[in-house]
Amino acid sequence: MKYSSRNDFHGGIHCSDGTDKELSNKNPIRFYQPKTVEISMKQSAGSSGEVAVSIGDRVTKGQLIGTPTRFGTANIHASINGTVQDIVTTKDSQDNDITYVVIETDTPDETGEKNRTPNTTEYHRGFVDISSISKEDIITSMKEGGLIGMGGAGFPTHVKYETTNQIDYVLINAAECEPYLTCDHRLMLEYGYAILNGVCLFLKAAGAKKAILCMEDNKRDAAEHLSNLLFQKDLPIEIKLLRTRYPQGGEKQLIEAVIGMEVPAGKLPADIGVIINNVGTAKALADLIFAQTPLVSRCITVTGKVKKPSNFIVPIGTRYAELIELCGGFTTVNNRVIVGGPMTGTAVLFGGGVSDLEGSVTKTSSGLLVLEDQIIIETPCIRCGQCERICPAGLAPFKIDFACINEDYTLCEKLYATECISCGSCSYVCPASRELAHRTTKAKIEVLKLRMERRKKHNG
Amino acid sequence: MGNKATEFMHGIRPHIRATRTTKEIMSDVVIALVPALIGSIYFFGIQSLILVLTAVTTCVLSEYLWQRLRKEPIRVGDVSAVVTGILLAFNFPATTPIWIIMVASVFSIIVAKQIFGGIGNNFANPALMGRALIMLLWPGNIAQYVTTNHGAADAVSSATVLSLLKSGKEIVDYSYLDMFIGNIPGALGETSKLLLLIGFLYLCYRQVVNFSATLTYIITVVAITFIFGGDGFFTGDILTNLLGGGLILGACFMITDYPSVAPRVKVSIAFLAGVITAYIRIWGILPEGVCFGILVGNCLSGLVEQVIRPHIYGVNLKKSNLN
Repeated sequence: MKYSSRNDFHGGIHCSDGTDKELSNKNPIRFYQPKTVEISMKQSAGSSGEVAVSIGDRVTKGQLIGTPTRFGTANIHASINGTVQDIVTTKDSQDNDITYVVIETDTPDETGEKNRTPNTTEYHRGFVDISSISKEDIITSMKEGGLIGMGGAGFPTHVKYETTNQIDYVLINAAECEPYLTCDHRLMLEYGYAILNGVCLFLKAAGAKKAILCMEDNKRDAAEHLSNLLFQKDLPIEIKLLRTRYPQGGEKQLIEAVIGMEVPAGKLPADIGVIINNVGTAKALADLIFAQTPLVSRCITVTGKVKKPSNFIVPIGTRYAELIELCGGFTTVNNRVIVGGPMTGTAVLFGGGVSDLEGSVTKTSSGLLVLEDQIIIETPCIRCGQCERICPAGLAPFKIDFACINEDYTLCEKLYATECISCGSCSYVCPASRELAHRTTKAKIEVLKLRMERRKKHNG
Repeated sequence: MGNKATEFMHGIRPHIRATRTTKEIMSDVVIALVPALIGSIYFFGIQSLILVLTAVTTCVLSEYLWQRLRKEPIRVGDVSAVVTGILLAFNFPATTPIWIIMVASVFSIIVAKQIFGGIGNNFANPALMGRALIMLLWPGNIAQYVTTNHGAADAVSSATVLSLLKSGKEIVDYSYLDMFIGNIPGALGETSKLLLLIGFLYLCYRQVVNFSATLTYIITVVAITFIFGGDGFFTGDILTNLLGGGLILGACFMITDYPSVAPRVKVSIAFLAGVITAYIRIWGILPEGVCFGILVGNCLSGLVEQVIRPHIYGVNLKKSNLN
């Protein structure tokens, strides 16, 4: 275990005093097996899948029910045994069409019991010999098993490994820099061997010489636990503690902090010989290879203003409302329910009851967070420069904010709005409560559109 | 910047925000100025308080009236006009006529701040703009510096330490300790370095300002006046230049002003302002150069920002980054 305080990324904020994570980081992972699941065909932002089953079909856990229709999408599998009751299309909070496959279980206690005692199989108890598994096998399994990045962005994992670049390092992102979220922390404490076996598979798939498991120093116990498992095992896995600072877990920031290099603008980490995967993805890969279970469940933290904050492992498609009820319901009327972390998550409900909460667990939902709703009133920028000082990308959000309000997207481009990582740090620190991150992200999208048009003109 | 009416937005990420507001920051600056205000009342009498209150009232009223008449959102509650008022009064000697203070206040708020778009949009420090105007229009009315009048019935007109230094006379009446405590003739708020520094330390503690620009400014001025300010090279009077004039006030509360100095390049601006200040002190007509030094720095802010480019993550990397 190596503690590196000098290795750091540029900017960042200290937005968590630790009490938010303490709500749930001591609570062991609970299991829950819902009677019905509603599996979304949109498992991550910007993806879309096509339903591959029809109403009335009997499906088993792990059976393919959705196939990708767009780049950046992975296979979607049934997460429980049962019958397809319905296929519904509704609107989500951003007014996009979203299709759900509703499956009702017919075997009430299936697999739940097995899940509850997870440490029975070999890969949960020690290191597994993977010399017989080839690189191609792993990548094919990733693709068929619908493995995507479980940190939030949800990029299909196999695409990362299909690179032709020489990979030197595999970084395992366990920073979990978002306040409140503790699911990765609990996974590391309870599924240490599964994660490390998964990391070995990643190493093999990438042909890399070394894997570095990176986490913030507020997860010291997890780092010690994993170091003990690795003790005298002679594996090329290093555990690195980093400063607790948001957005430590941002892909580019993690590379800057750990490898000391920057990913060139418009390139991928693979271009500088690095692949990054989330720690949850490592566990999912181990489940996939050693237990032949595709990605059909995930760990999620339900926390904030609920009676009993908890960490769960639930099948994909478990309704959010059920999880809130399992945690004892809201403790505030004026609530705001967020899927994901407080910095980058999406608000799905304002001030409603539990029954008003729509949506279900996807492969990318790392948390379900209930906060007190607040109304933010913007005041003029006082040019204090806080946003510019803390921007991990080195931008001047207050200038982009101004250019975006004036719809001057050429200026936004000159200010490098495209390099924004949408971490939200600027809005967090702004004393004038300006929605800097919102407008910078908007500017980024507009500039990309502008570039696309320019390219079309150039080609046509 | 960004004063346009903003659309109503709700539920936008991030869902947690730091609690500090503009008003809190401005209130912190006011708190930091209180020790120096009390000091000025002690050294220059109740006239000092009257001038400060006049400046603050005029600033707040003119901002309110401007926003009211222009039907802009009323933003007087953000306390920034109070800060301008106090800093403005701090720049004048105790003998300044009240109408001068009022004219300067109106000019500061209306011309230097509101015409450019209100809070955050002023290209130069409003308080210094007010002082500069009066220095150019009615210099005679603000040239009457008085000795500190504790005990004595009447204040006696006296030259400031820096004008003594400039004219080459020996400074016999004031010790360095007097200069540090504030027991010297000068503008209301500039004399007591001790109390200004106490206020500045509070601002640093509250993380409202960063001391890098302040330090750069002070070191630049002191170094240049030390090298060129004496009869030969390296014979300048360090402590008199440091403590004798408005350097500490300017360094602690003017160069750190948010909108008038581009945040990313504030250290470079502080350096430039320091060079101008020292130049005026040594070779200029005026004995003191803080006001114009900082104003010139403010004006150069945009240019310096163009010259010193920021590093954007992943853009213009050195070759070594790509192995």
